[in-house]
Amino acid sequence: MRLITHNMLQCHVKGCNKDNFPLKLEEIEIEELEAEFNADFIKSMLNRLDWKALAQTTFSLGIAQLPEEMPEELNDEMLQQLHHILLEVDITSGRMVCQGCNHVYPIRDGIPNMLLTESEV
Amino acid sequence: MEKTNVKRKSSEIDETEVKENANKKVDVTVKEKIEENKETSKKTISEEEKKEEHYVHDVYEAIAPHFSDTRYKPWPVVDKFLNELNTGLIGIDVGCGNGKYLGINKNVYIIGSDRCSNLIKICKERGYESLVADNLYLPYRSEVFDFAISIAVIHHFTTPERRRDAIEEILRVLKKGSKVLIFVWAFEQERKKFNEQDVLIPWHIPKKKYLNNKSLNKKDYTESEKSEHLVKYERYYHLFKKGELDDLVDQIKIGKVVETGYDRDNWYVVAERI
Repeated sequence: MRLITHNMLQCHVKGCNKDNFPLKLEEIEIEELEAEFNADFIKSMLNRLDWKALAQTTFSLGIAQLPEEMPEELNDEMLQQLHHILLEVDITSGRMVCQGCNHVYPIRDGIPNMLLTESEV
Repeated sequence: MEKTNVKRKSSEIDETEVKENANKKVDVTVKEKIEENKETSKKTISEEEKKEEHYVHDVYEAIAPHFSDTRYKPWPVVDKFLNELNTGLIGIDVGCGNGKYLGINKNVYIIGSDRCSNLIKICKERGYESLVADNLYLPYRSEVFDFAISIAVIHHFTTPERRRDAIEEILRVLKKGSKVLIFVWAFEQERKKFNEQDVLIPWHIPKKKYLNNKSLNKKDYTESEKSEHLVKYERYYHLFKKGELDDLVDQIKIGKVVETGYDRDNWYVVAERI
Protein backbone atom coordinates (compact mmCIF):
# COMPACT_ATOMS: atom_id res chain seq x y z
CA MET A 1 0.00 0.00 0.00
CA ARG A 2 1.32 3.39 -0.99
CA LEU A 3 0.93 6.52 1.13
CA ILE A 4 -1.40 8.15 -1.43
CA THR A 5 -3.85 5.34 -0.72
CA HIS A 6 -3.36 5.69 3.03
CA ASN A 7 -4.16 9.41 2.71
CA MET A 8 -7.59 8.53 1.28
CA LEU A 9 -8.50 5.92 3.89
CA GLN A 10 -10.80 6.62 6.79
CA CYS A 11 -12.27 4.44 9.52
CA HIS A 12 -15.82 3.46 8.57
CA VAL A 13 -17.03 1.79 11.75
CA LYS A 14 -20.64 2.85 12.35
CA GLY A 15 -20.83 5.93 14.56
CA CYS A 16 -17.07 6.55 14.43
CA ASN A 17 -16.81 10.10 13.14
CA LYS A 18 -14.18 11.71 15.34
CA ASP A 19 -10.40 11.26 14.85
CA ASN A 20 -11.19 8.65 12.18
CA PHE A 21 -8.49 10.05 9.83
CA PRO A 22 -5.62 9.50 9.28
CA LEU A 23 -5.39 5.90 10.44
CA LYS A 24 -2.27 5.36 12.54
CA LEU A 25 0.26 3.00 10.98
CA GLU A 26 1.78 0.52 13.42
CA GLU A 27 4.33 -2.29 13.29
CA ILE A 28 4.83 -1.73 9.62
CA GLU A 29 7.31 -3.12 7.13
CA ILE A 30 8.30 -1.05 4.14
CA GLU A 31 9.66 -2.01 0.75
CA GLU A 32 11.10 0.48 -1.68
CA LEU A 33 9.72 0.56 -5.20
CA GLU A 34 10.98 2.36 -8.27
CA ALA A 35 8.62 4.63 -10.14
CA GLU A 36 9.12 6.99 -13.03
CA PHE A 37 9.25 10.65 -11.99
CA ASN A 38 6.56 12.91 -13.41
CA ALA A 39 6.49 16.42 -11.89
CA ASP A 40 3.00 17.25 -13.20
CA PHE A 41 1.59 14.06 -11.74
CA ILE A 42 3.09 14.81 -8.31
CA LYS A 43 1.89 18.44 -8.31
CA SER A 44 -1.61 17.34 -9.27
CA MET A 45 -1.60 14.62 -6.63
CA LEU A 46 -0.54 17.08 -3.90
CA ASN A 47 -3.62 19.20 -4.54
CA ARG A 48 -5.70 16.12 -3.89
CA LEU A 49 -4.06 14.95 -0.69
CA ASP A 50 -4.48 16.09 2.88
CA TRP A 51 -1.05 17.60 3.50
CA LYS A 52 -1.26 17.64 7.31
CA ALA A 53 -2.11 13.95 7.41
CA LEU A 54 0.73 13.19 5.00
CA ALA A 55 3.25 15.19 7.08
CA GLN A 56 2.05 13.52 10.28
CA THR A 57 2.28 10.03 8.76
CA THR A 58 5.71 10.45 7.15
CA PHE A 59 7.05 11.89 10.44
CA SER A 60 5.67 9.03 12.53
CA LEU A 61 7.16 6.50 10.10
CA GLY A 62 10.50 8.30 10.30
CA ILE A 63 10.80 8.64 6.53
CA ALA A 64 10.57 12.44 6.15
CA GLN A 65 10.10 15.70 8.01
CA LEU A 66 7.78 17.74 5.86
CA PRO A 67 6.81 21.34 6.70
CA GLU A 68 3.51 21.67 8.56
CA GLU A 69 1.86 23.50 5.70
CA MET A 70 2.28 22.69 2.02
CA PRO A 71 4.92 25.11 0.62
CA GLU A 72 3.56 27.47 -2.03
CA GLU A 73 6.56 26.94 -4.28
CA LEU A 74 7.83 23.41 -4.74
CA ASN A 75 11.40 23.14 -5.99
CA ASP A 76 12.75 20.10 -7.83
CA GLU A 77 14.38 18.65 -4.76
CA MET A 78 11.10 18.83 -2.85
CA LEU A 79 9.17 17.29 -5.75
CA GLN A 80 11.67 14.43 -5.98
CA GLN A 81 11.32 13.81 -2.26
CA LEU A 82 7.52 13.80 -2.51
CA HIS A 83 7.68 11.52 -5.53
CA HIS A 84 9.64 9.05 -3.41
CA ILE A 85 7.27 9.36 -0.43
CA LEU A 86 4.12 8.98 -2.50
CA LEU A 87 5.04 6.41 -5.11
CA GLU A 88 8.12 4.52 -4.00
CA VAL A 89 7.30 3.68 -0.40
CA ASP A 90 5.27 0.47 -0.28
CA ILE A 91 3.87 -0.73 3.03
CA THR A 92 3.94 -4.51 2.86
CA SER A 93 2.70 -5.43 6.32
CA GLY A 94 1.51 -3.96 9.59
CA ARG A 95 -1.75 -2.48 10.74
CA MET A 96 -3.79 0.69 10.68
CA VAL A 97 -5.43 1.79 13.90
CA CYS A 98 -8.28 4.28 14.14
CA GLN A 99 -7.45 6.97 16.69
CA GLY A 100 -11.16 7.50 17.33
CA CYS A 101 -12.49 4.00 18.03
CA ASN A 102 -9.30 1.86 18.08
CA HIS A 103 -10.49 -0.39 15.29
CA VAL A 104 -7.59 -2.26 13.72
CA TYR A 105 -7.27 -2.82 9.96
CA PRO A 106 -4.51 -5.31 9.14
CA ILE A 107 -2.13 -5.07 6.17
CA ARG A 108 -0.79 -8.40 4.92
CA ASP A 109 1.29 -9.03 1.80
CA GLY A 110 0.81 -5.38 0.90
CA ILE A 111 -2.99 -5.68 1.02
CA PRO A 112 -5.06 -3.70 3.55
CA ASN A 113 -8.13 -5.57 4.73
CA MET A 114 -10.81 -2.95 5.28
CA LEU A 115 -13.73 -5.31 5.99
CA LEU A 116 -15.59 -4.88 9.25
CA THR A 117 -17.09 -7.71 11.24
CA GLU A 118 -20.88 -7.82 10.97
CA SER A 119 -21.56 -6.44 14.43
CA GLU A 120 -19.87 -3.14 13.61
CA VAL A 121 -21.61 -2.43 10.35
CA MET B 1 -15.81 -21.13 1.23
CA GLU B 2 -12.74 -20.15 3.12
CA LYS B 3 -14.53 -17.29 4.79
CA THR B 4 -17.52 -19.37 5.87
CA ASN B 5 -15.20 -21.88 7.48
CA VAL B 6 -13.39 -19.19 9.41
CA LYS B 7 -16.69 -17.81 10.61
CA ARG B 8 -17.94 -21.19 11.74
CA LYS B 9 -14.74 -21.69 13.65
CA SER B 10 -15.05 -18.40 15.50
CA SER B 11 -18.63 -19.10 16.54
CA GLU B 12 -17.58 -22.51 17.84
CA ILE B 13 -14.92 -20.84 19.93
CA ASP B 14 -17.49 -18.38 21.26
CA GLU B 15 -19.68 -21.23 22.41
CA THR B 16 -16.88 -23.06 24.20
CA GLU B 17 -15.88 -19.84 25.87
CA VAL B 18 -19.40 -19.30 27.08
CA LYS B 19 -19.59 -22.85 28.41
CA GLU B 20 -16.27 -22.55 30.19
CA ASN B 21 -17.31 -19.27 31.69
CA ALA B 22 -20.50 -20.84 32.95
CA ASN B 23 -18.57 -23.66 34.58
CA LYS B 24 -16.38 -21.18 36.37
CA LYS B 25 -19.51 -19.49 37.72
CA VAL B 26 -18.51 -16.13 36.34
CA ASP B 27 -20.57 -13.10 37.15
CA VAL B 28 -24.01 -13.49 35.58
CA THR B 29 -23.92 -10.08 33.95
CA VAL B 30 -20.80 -11.02 31.98
CA LYS B 31 -22.55 -14.12 30.70
CA GLU B 32 -25.59 -12.11 29.76
CA LYS B 33 -23.43 -9.67 27.91
CA ILE B 34 -21.79 -12.41 25.87
CA GLU B 35 -25.20 -13.84 25.01
CA GLU B 36 -26.44 -10.39 24.13
CA ASN B 37 -23.48 -9.78 21.83
CA LYS B 38 -24.06 -13.13 20.18
CA GLU B 39 -27.70 -12.19 19.61
CA THR B 40 -26.90 -8.82 18.06
CA SER B 41 -24.26 -10.21 15.75
CA LYS B 42 -26.70 -12.91 14.64
CA LYS B 43 -29.41 -10.38 13.88
CA THR B 44 -27.16 -8.21 11.73
CA ILE B 45 -26.59 -10.93 9.14
CA SER B 46 -29.65 -10.57 6.97
CA GLU B 47 -31.03 -13.07 4.48
CA GLU B 48 -29.79 -10.84 1.65
CA GLU B 49 -26.27 -10.87 3.03
CA LYS B 50 -26.36 -14.64 3.44
CA LYS B 51 -27.45 -15.02 -0.16
CA GLU B 52 -24.70 -12.71 -1.39
CA GLU B 53 -22.15 -14.48 0.75
CA HIS B 54 -23.11 -17.89 -0.63
CA TYR B 55 -23.83 -17.03 -4.26
CA VAL B 56 -21.35 -14.21 -4.78
CA HIS B 57 -18.49 -13.85 -2.26
CA ASP B 58 -17.79 -17.54 -1.69
CA VAL B 59 -18.03 -18.32 -5.39
CA TYR B 60 -15.56 -15.61 -6.40
CA GLU B 61 -13.13 -16.72 -3.67
CA ALA B 62 -13.26 -20.21 -5.14
CA ILE B 63 -13.21 -19.42 -8.85
CA ALA B 64 -10.77 -16.46 -8.64
CA PRO B 65 -7.80 -17.95 -10.58
CA HIS B 66 -9.95 -19.43 -13.36
CA PHE B 67 -12.20 -16.34 -13.50
CA SER B 68 -9.11 -14.15 -13.76
CA ASP B 69 -7.72 -16.17 -16.68
CA THR B 70 -10.89 -15.39 -18.61
CA ARG B 71 -10.92 -11.65 -17.88
CA TYR B 72 -8.31 -9.81 -19.89
CA LYS B 73 -10.02 -7.89 -22.67
CA PRO B 74 -11.14 -4.38 -21.67
CA TRP B 75 -14.60 -3.26 -22.79
CA PRO B 76 -14.35 -0.30 -25.24
CA VAL B 77 -16.67 2.05 -23.30
CA VAL B 78 -14.69 1.51 -20.10
CA ASP B 79 -11.39 1.84 -21.95
CA LYS B 80 -12.51 5.17 -23.43
CA PHE B 81 -13.79 6.51 -20.07
CA LEU B 82 -10.43 5.78 -18.42
CA ASN B 83 -8.22 6.99 -21.26
CA GLU B 84 -9.99 10.35 -21.45
CA LEU B 85 -8.96 11.21 -17.87
CA ASN B 86 -6.32 13.94 -17.36
CA THR B 87 -2.87 13.28 -15.89
CA GLY B 88 -2.65 13.27 -12.12
CA LEU B 89 -6.26 12.44 -11.29
CA ILE B 90 -7.07 9.99 -8.54
CA GLY B 91 -9.92 7.48 -8.61
CA ILE B 92 -11.28 4.09 -7.66
CA ASP B 93 -12.39 0.84 -9.26
CA VAL B 94 -14.99 -0.60 -6.89
CA GLY B 95 -15.28 -4.35 -7.43
CA CYS B 96 -12.11 -4.42 -9.53
CA GLY B 97 -11.94 -8.22 -9.85
CA ASN B 98 -8.56 -9.29 -11.23
CA GLY B 99 -7.63 -5.66 -11.88
CA LYS B 100 -8.07 -5.67 -15.64
CA TYR B 101 -8.85 -1.91 -15.63
CA LEU B 102 -6.24 -0.82 -13.07
CA GLY B 103 -3.43 -0.48 -15.60
CA ILE B 104 -5.33 1.01 -18.56
CA ASN B 105 -4.28 4.65 -18.00
CA LYS B 106 -0.82 5.00 -16.47
CA ASN B 107 -1.22 8.77 -15.99
CA VAL B 108 -3.86 8.49 -13.26
CA TYR B 109 -3.71 6.96 -9.79
CA ILE B 110 -6.33 4.30 -9.33
CA ILE B 111 -7.10 2.22 -6.24
CA GLY B 112 -8.87 -1.06 -6.82
CA SER B 113 -11.06 -2.73 -4.22
CA ASP B 114 -12.96 -5.99 -4.14
CA ARG B 115 -14.88 -8.00 -1.55
CA CYS B 116 -13.00 -11.10 -2.70
CA SER B 117 -9.51 -11.37 -1.21
CA ASN B 118 -8.32 -14.00 -3.70
CA LEU B 119 -8.99 -11.61 -6.58
CA ILE B 120 -7.17 -8.79 -4.76
CA LYS B 121 -4.18 -11.11 -4.33
CA ILE B 122 -4.08 -11.40 -8.12
CA CYS B 123 -4.21 -7.58 -8.46
CA LYS B 124 -1.36 -7.21 -6.00
CA GLU B 125 0.74 -9.81 -7.82
CA ARG B 126 0.27 -7.74 -10.96
CA GLY B 127 1.61 -4.72 -9.09
CA TYR B 128 -1.68 -2.84 -8.77
CA GLU B 129 -2.71 -0.73 -5.80
CA SER B 130 -5.61 -2.62 -4.29
CA LEU B 131 -7.40 -3.47 -1.06
CA VAL B 132 -10.19 -5.67 0.31
CA ALA B 133 -13.37 -3.70 1.03
CA ASP B 134 -17.15 -3.95 0.88
CA ASN B 135 -18.88 -1.77 -1.74
CA LEU B 136 -21.58 -0.86 0.80
CA TYR B 137 -19.02 0.47 3.31
CA LEU B 138 -16.14 2.00 1.39
CA PRO B 139 -13.18 2.87 3.62
CA TYR B 140 -12.53 6.25 2.00
CA ARG B 141 -13.00 9.88 3.04
CA SER B 142 -15.99 11.68 1.50
CA GLU B 143 -15.64 13.80 -1.65
CA VAL B 144 -12.01 13.00 -2.43
CA PHE B 145 -11.93 11.16 -5.78
CA ASP B 146 -11.94 12.51 -9.35
CA PHE B 147 -13.52 9.45 -10.95
CA ALA B 148 -14.82 5.95 -10.27
CA ILE B 149 -15.78 2.84 -12.18
CA SER B 150 -18.13 0.03 -11.15
CA ILE B 151 -17.98 -2.68 -13.79
CA ALA B 152 -20.22 -5.74 -13.47
CA VAL B 153 -20.67 -5.36 -9.71
CA ILE B 154 -24.03 -3.79 -8.83
CA HIS B 155 -25.93 -6.73 -10.40
CA HIS B 156 -24.59 -8.99 -7.63
CA PHE B 157 -26.58 -7.20 -4.88
CA THR B 158 -29.85 -8.98 -4.12
CA THR B 159 -32.32 -6.14 -3.41
CA PRO B 160 -33.13 -2.77 -5.07
CA GLU B 161 -32.23 -1.00 -1.80
CA ARG B 162 -28.79 -2.61 -1.61
CA ARG B 163 -28.11 -1.87 -5.30
CA ARG B 164 -29.06 1.78 -4.73
CA ASP B 165 -26.98 2.00 -1.52
CA ALA B 166 -23.95 0.54 -3.29
CA ILE B 167 -24.15 3.27 -5.96
CA GLU B 168 -24.76 5.99 -3.35
CA GLU B 169 -21.68 4.88 -1.41
CA ILE B 170 -19.52 5.32 -4.53
CA LEU B 171 -21.02 8.78 -5.12
CA ARG B 172 -20.31 9.74 -1.50
CA VAL B 173 -16.54 9.47 -1.98
CA LEU B 174 -16.53 11.34 -5.33
CA LYS B 175 -15.85 15.09 -5.47
CA LYS B 176 -18.79 17.20 -6.62
CA GLY B 177 -18.82 17.21 -10.42
CA SER B 178 -16.86 13.92 -10.65
CA LYS B 179 -18.29 10.95 -12.49
CA VAL B 180 -18.73 7.23 -12.08
CA LEU B 181 -19.19 4.76 -14.93
CA ILE B 182 -21.48 1.87 -13.96
CA PHE B 183 -21.98 -1.33 -16.00
CA VAL B 184 -24.55 -4.01 -15.18
CA TRP B 185 -25.75 -7.11 -16.99
CA ALA B 186 -28.88 -6.59 -19.10
CA PHE B 187 -32.10 -8.63 -19.06
CA GLU B 188 -32.44 -7.85 -22.76
CA GLN B 189 -29.66 -9.88 -24.40
CA GLU B 190 -29.13 -10.85 -28.01
CA ARG B 191 -28.08 -14.47 -27.58
CA LYS B 192 -29.52 -15.46 -24.20
CA LYS B 193 -33.19 -15.24 -23.24
CA PHE B 194 -34.17 -15.11 -19.58
CA ASN B 195 -37.54 -15.74 -17.94
CA GLU B 196 -36.84 -13.82 -14.76
CA GLN B 197 -34.56 -11.05 -13.55
CA ASP B 198 -33.05 -12.77 -10.51
CA VAL B 199 -31.02 -15.73 -11.68
CA LEU B 200 -28.23 -18.12 -10.75
CA ILE B 201 -25.63 -18.39 -13.48
CA PRO B 202 -23.39 -21.45 -13.47
CA TRP B 203 -19.60 -21.22 -13.63
CA HIS B 204 -17.64 -24.33 -14.56
CA ILE B 205 -14.03 -24.79 -13.60
CA PRO B 206 -11.85 -27.23 -15.54
CA LYS B 207 -10.79 -29.63 -12.81
CA LYS B 208 -7.41 -30.63 -14.17
CA LYS B 209 -6.05 -27.13 -14.37
CA TYR B 210 -7.38 -25.58 -11.18
CA LEU B 211 -8.25 -28.27 -8.70
CA ASN B 212 -4.84 -28.37 -7.09
CA ASN B 213 -4.99 -24.65 -6.52
CA LYS B 214 -5.32 -23.84 -2.84
CA SER B 215 -7.96 -21.18 -3.34
CA LEU B 216 -10.22 -23.69 -5.05
CA ASN B 217 -11.38 -25.24 -1.85
CA LYS B 218 -14.86 -26.53 -2.57
CA LYS B 219 -15.08 -29.58 -0.38
CA ASP B 220 -18.49 -31.01 -1.10
CA TYR B 221 -18.04 -32.23 -4.66
CA THR B 222 -20.97 -34.24 -5.92
CA GLU B 223 -20.39 -37.70 -7.36
CA SER B 224 -21.03 -36.45 -10.87
CA GLU B 225 -18.59 -33.60 -10.41
CA LYS B 226 -15.92 -36.01 -9.26
CA SER B 227 -16.35 -38.12 -12.34
CA GLU B 228 -16.56 -35.22 -14.79
CA HIS B 229 -13.91 -32.78 -15.84
CA LEU B 230 -15.66 -29.70 -14.54
CA VAL B 231 -16.66 -28.34 -11.15
CA LYS B 232 -19.81 -26.27 -11.09
CA TYR B 233 -20.47 -23.10 -9.10
CA GLU B 234 -23.44 -20.74 -9.28
CA ARG B 235 -23.36 -16.98 -9.09
CA TYR B 236 -26.34 -14.72 -8.30
CA TYR B 237 -27.22 -11.97 -10.79
CA HIS B 238 -29.96 -9.40 -10.95
CA LEU B 239 -30.51 -8.73 -14.66
CA PHE B 240 -31.34 -5.07 -15.26
CA LYS B 241 -34.20 -4.05 -17.54
CA LYS B 242 -34.01 -0.97 -19.72
CA GLY B 243 -34.08 2.22 -17.60
CA GLU B 244 -33.77 0.37 -14.28
CA LEU B 245 -30.19 1.49 -13.60
CA ASP B 246 -31.11 5.10 -14.43
CA ASP B 247 -34.06 4.86 -12.01
CA LEU B 248 -31.75 3.73 -9.20
CA VAL B 249 -29.46 6.73 -9.72
CA ASP B 250 -32.49 9.05 -9.86
CA GLN B 251 -33.44 7.91 -6.34
CA ILE B 252 -30.10 9.18 -5.00
CA LYS B 253 -30.03 12.83 -3.93
CA ILE B 254 -26.30 13.26 -4.48
CA GLY B 255 -26.25 11.86 -8.02
CA LYS B 256 -27.65 12.40 -11.52
CA VAL B 257 -27.42 10.47 -14.78
CA VAL B 258 -25.41 12.30 -17.45
CA GLU B 259 -25.04 9.50 -20.01
CA THR B 260 -26.76 6.20 -20.55
CA GLY B 261 -26.35 3.35 -23.00
CA TYR B 262 -26.29 -0.33 -23.95
CA ASP B 263 -23.17 -2.23 -24.92
CA ARG B 264 -22.69 -5.97 -25.49
CA ASP B 265 -25.47 -7.31 -23.26
CA ASN B 266 -24.92 -4.62 -20.61
CA TRP B 267 -26.67 -1.42 -19.57
CA TYR B 268 -24.42 1.40 -18.47
CA VAL B 269 -24.73 4.91 -17.05
CA VAL B 270 -22.32 7.70 -16.29
CA ALA B 271 -23.54 9.34 -13.06
CA GLU B 272 -22.28 12.63 -11.72
CA ARG B 273 -21.81 13.49 -8.06
CA ILE B 274 -23.89 16.61 -7.32
